[in-house]
Amino acid sequence: MSSPALVVFRKELRDTLRDRRTLIAMVVVPLLLFPLLMVGMAKFSQSRAAEARDKTLAVAVADAEAGAGRGSGLADFLRHEPGLEITEVQDVMALPERVRTEELDAAIVIPAGYAAAVAAHQPAPLQLLHKSSDDFDIPRTRLEQTLARFEQKLLEERLRGLGIEPRSIDPLDIQRTDVVSSRELFGKLLGGLLPYMFIIFCFTGGMYPAIDLAAGEKERGTLETLLSSPASRLQITLGKFAVVTLTGFTSALLATVGMYVSVQSVSGIPPAVLAAVQSVLAPGTIALVLALLLPLSVFFAGLLLMLSLYARSYKEAMSIISPLMIVVVVPAAIALAPGVRLGVATALVPVLNVSLATREIIAGTAEPLHLALVFASLLLLAAGSMVACARWFSREDIVFRS
Amino acid sequence: MIEVVDLTKSFPISRQQRREQAAAGPPAPGAAPAPGAAGASSLQAVAGASFRCLPGRVFALLGPNGAGKTTVLRMIATLLRPDGGRISIAGVDALADPVAARRRLGFLTGSTKLYERLTAEENVRYAADLHGVGAADYKRRRDALFAALGIDAYAGRRAGQLSTGMKQKVAIARTIIHDPEVVVFDEATSGLDVIAARAIIQLIQDCRARGKTVLFSTHIMSEVTMLADDLAVVHRGRLLAMGGLEEVLARAVDERGQRRTLEDEFVRLVDAAEEVRT
Repeated sequence: MSSPALVVFRKELRDTLRDRRTLIAMVVVPLLLFPLLMVGMAKFSQSRAAEARDKTLAVAVADAEAGAGRGSGLADFLRHEPGLEITEVQDVMALPERVRTEELDAAIVIPAGYAAAVAAHQPAPLQLLHKSSDDFDIPRTRLEQTLARFEQKLLEERLRGLGIEPRSIDPLDIQRTDVVSSRELFGKLLGGLLPYMFIIFCFTGGMYPAIDLAAGEKERGTLETLLSSPASRLQITLGKFAVVTLTGFTSALLATVGMYVSVQSVSGIPPAVLAAVQSVLAPGTIALVLALLLPLSVFFAGLLLMLSLYARSYKEAMSIISPLMIVVVVPAAIALAPGVRLGVATALVPVLNVSLATREIIAGTAEPLHLALVFASLLLLAAGSMVACARWFSREDIVFRS
Repeated sequence: MIEVVDLTKSFPISRQQRREQAAAGPPAPGAAPAPGAAGASSLQAVAGASFRCLPGRVFALLGPNGAGKTTVLRMIATLLRPDGGRISIAGVDALADPVAARRRLGFLTGSTKLYERLTAEENVRYAADLHGVGAADYKRRRDALFAALGIDAYAGRRAGQLSTGMKQKVAIARTIIHDPEVVVFDEATSGLDVIAARAIIQLIQDCRARGKTVLFSTHIMSEVTMLADDLAVVHRGRLLAMGGLEEVLARAVDERGQRRTLEDEFVRLVDAAEEVRT
């Protein structure tokens, strides 16, 4: 014979796993949809970037002083650069519109006074027209690099004309060595995004079961039958609580699996980044992150069940719980802001602490004291949420609210 | 047996309800403020109800909508805690040991539904497991009940796919799978078609025949005359009349010495109570 809490748990789990909405939120979205989106977006971005990098840029050159550009060698220089298709034009006024409508990728205007400035060893004016909203701004970057090479060529010619060896104007030869590990770099750059994702799935994974198990049961009229059984309110709460916790946690777990699979399946990731991702997804790191998510799932389960039980119907529960998502997202998103670090104070702020601690764990820079504080505060919060939820189930004005 | 002594229960009134009462105006001059009247902070749903339901007999709680019948039954089922009074279920003090009281109780309401994603069998099994029915007992009772109710062929079908009548039969099986000594029905036939309602009526008769204590609430007179051995008339949380059905009907005689029908007597009792209030 089983304990009533276990009986409730088994029944609720079976019932939940037969609910299509829950399955989609708990399994399909984290395991399939998210990785598919990630892979799809990565592939799309890669192909767009590659296309922009490799394509021949249509560039118009308008020379206000006919022959001045040619005189300085700019037009010739550009013509010999690979990946550029140079056309010389006279109509300067039409150029902005031609770039805006993407007839041209960019245009260079050599204004009056250019030749004189070059001859007088003064900064020569030059205008570059581009459209930054397209192709990751790669055309502008490529043209600027080309112009920088031309500028370097002019500079060296001027220095030699003055009898100065160009290398002699570089007093320092700085050798840079970045000692950051690839894991730390990945952790700091992307580590903020992963906990954000885990926290969202923890919440959404438990949301539908919580609504169904309390407000849904109220609406169906099955709650009275359950409450008139020998199971105590605490046992009923524990059974339902465990299911909501499990679904939220499973959702986050599946998101981790989905992320791992998607990273493995995206081609073209540099080996260093791939190695960093694999070190992040090491069993020890994952175990620590999941250990943080478990008490968070318990906290969410208590919160969701309480709100759901307060509601009179499934629809009302949805309208109460949906805005709560923002309350969860905001502290998770704050962790993405630069300069926000895990400390004694932030370790005590729910959700934000999980987000920051996960980032530190992924980067391999977590302080044991801070982690202990995060765990302690989460465990307290989880216990408080369980007790509050059990009390909530014992309140007649909540259970029979009409 | 169910024994209820001096049961009272009031509910706090919400701000909106208070505003509505204030808009309705104060009570008539000289009249005592009614429970939940303007100025009152709570609504007295049950006021000093006492009655006894005996094994092998059917007790009907008869009253109009809002009379307090459901509140009384919910307190007996230990879903609500009374403000005062005592409740005994098959010899168990329901307030001191509600879990033990619920073990001896089957509770069915008209609004009770099934878990639609579970099969008929799983719905009944869930109730049996919650009541701690052992595997052998479960099989024996389940086979007998499913055969008697004619739902064996539908046992493996999800409740959401069953007809209303079938669902009601599964709900009946779920209510009595643990063979309770006391069965409570709260307007269990309300909103059901004739066929489904008949299954409930048949169940009540069977329970009486098997020596169970049966308590049911209704506002349908024909059900009372068909089923009840004893009855109590409830209005605004108070018992207006109580006794055996024959006894109550025998007392129901008009000025000309003619016997009233149960419906006439019920209306007379309620009207008299309303006159006293105002």
